[in-house]
Amino acid sequence: MIEQDYASVKKPLDWKKAKAIVAGVDVGAASSKTVILVDGQPYAVSHVTTRVPKEAALKAMNAALAKAGLTLEKIHYIVGTGRGKAQVTFARETLSEVACGAAGAVRVWGPSVRTVLDAGAQSCKVIHCTEKGRATAFLWNDKCAAGIGRSMEVFADLAKKEVSEIGNIALQSDQFPKLSDFCAVYAQSEALDLMRSNVPPEQVIAAYHHAMAKRISILVGRAGLKEDFVVIGGLAKNPGVMGPLESILKVSRLASKPEWDPTLIPALGAALFADAFYRRQQSGPY
Amino acid sequence: MSKGNCLAGIDAGHVHTKAVIMRGAEILGYCTVPTGFDLVAAAQTALKDASDHAGISIGELGEIVGTGIFGDRIKGPSLNVTETVPEYMADAKGALFLNRNSRTVIDVGGNIHKAVRYDQRGGLLDVIQNDKCADGLGIFYTNMAKAMGLSEEELSELALKSTQSLSLAIQCALSAESDAIDLLCQGNDIADVADAVSKIVAERVADMCTYLELTKEVVVAGGLAKSQAMIKHLERLIKQDVSVLNLPEYVGAIGAVMSHEGGK
Repeated sequence: MIEQDYASVKKPLDWKKAKAIVAGVDVGAASSKTVILVDGQPYAVSHVTTRVPKEAALKAMNAALAKAGLTLEKIHYIVGTGRGKAQVTFARETLSEVACGAAGAVRVWGPSVRTVLDAGAQSCKVIHCTEKGRATAFLWNDKCAAGIGRSMEVFADLAKKEVSEIGNIALQSDQFPKLSDFCAVYAQSEALDLMRSNVPPEQVIAAYHHAMAKRISILVGRAGLKEDFVVIGGLAKNPGVMGPLESILKVSRLASKPEWDPTLIPALGAALFADAFYRRQQSGPY
Repeated sequence: MSKGNCLAGIDAGHVHTKAVIMRGAEILGYCTVPTGFDLVAAAQTALKDASDHAGISIGELGEIVGTGIFGDRIKGPSLNVTETVPEYMADAKGALFLNRNSRTVIDVGGNIHKAVRYDQRGGLLDVIQNDKCADGLGIFYTNMAKAMGLSEEELSELALKSTQSLSLAIQCALSAESDAIDLLCQGNDIADVADAVSKIVAERVADMCTYLELTKEVVVAGGLAKSQAMIKHLERLIKQDVSVLNLPEYVGAIGAVMSHEGGK
């Protein structure tokens, strides 16, 4: 989901004495994220809107660098990930968002995590992982379930609401008509038709969120769910989708960490890989 | 200005509500606002702004005629809509008013696209509307422009500069968006992706048009008619020249006025 751009420093660390300064850059369909680690500790993060992926990769990196008072040459190792990972031209290595999502989630929520749902703007994926954060299996949405995250933003526009408030509006209604939960194009079109039949706005909004939650739950059901369960990606911040999703799946996800924006997790994972690669390179045989 | 001379047309669509103020064959003012959930409020705002644009007060208006997918919903005491006409009829009358030689109008709106064929008096001959899988073409186009950080005009301008032909999935707007994002992520030129976005819209519209005889002159209406890049592809695909109506998004609202009392 497209949100405000931001960059911030997580922890005031002295990078001048650091042995390993690394970064993960995640170029997603809607936003691009960077996490910088200093000796394994999160130092600076950024989140910018993706327009042209090639430019967004650099913009996200530069935003985090500027916040941290660092320059690109000071970074020892960079790993790129996300749908636009090939556009992170300054990265030493690129890795799948599946591997990075699992690694980041286990770092943030701890070794009990077994299933990670990455619900992003353009794609949804369910990742199974070990206590060390290694991805063991994953299931990616088929094309018909693409774009759920971004469709929320489009839907919010049509309803003339903010994307950040629409999830809470959805929770205001217990009873609502059922929409197509197979296709987001159908769901959107049916939601527009409900408006014509005088259904109150909060019911239409609830109906749409419920349809999207149902769609995601089918994917999670097919992949299989092992607890503990966590959700990352922009949709993790939408209570209107997360509430129905948890009740359909009959499972509670581990609560979001206030210190970690759930959209930053794959970038964090990429940075953790960068850290490991750099250390291996330093200690490797020469 | 003497009272009762002016007529207003309101076209309450899925995405936008359009209002137009006319006196006889003269268009005095017009305005477009997002529809949102409160259809009546949107219609009131559009009417007020169109009246301001025309330089008259709402009290000076004679009849108000409604049309569009939500046309019946804006009838009521808060808004003095005296009559509503079906959107197909309004499209035909509006297109004929804007272009006397036209016999077919292709209307590409936010959620629905349709084509209407009519006689020299604007009487309906044939109608076709998109199937549900192709809903939301206009919304898709707006959304893609936003995703690429462009205005809709810029998207069309860029698309016309494209040097390499790329294609998106033909199935639906959702798959097409997914494909467009992939093309960008693969590092393709933004102009070429903009061209692909314009082309898929034209392809879906052209697909629909195969079910209807396109009697000349063919005109294009709806917000997407303003995309020159889309029009270029459409002409190639339907193998006909088309002309874009002046004020293409107001064809329904103008047609509503023209249909007043059965079109006189």
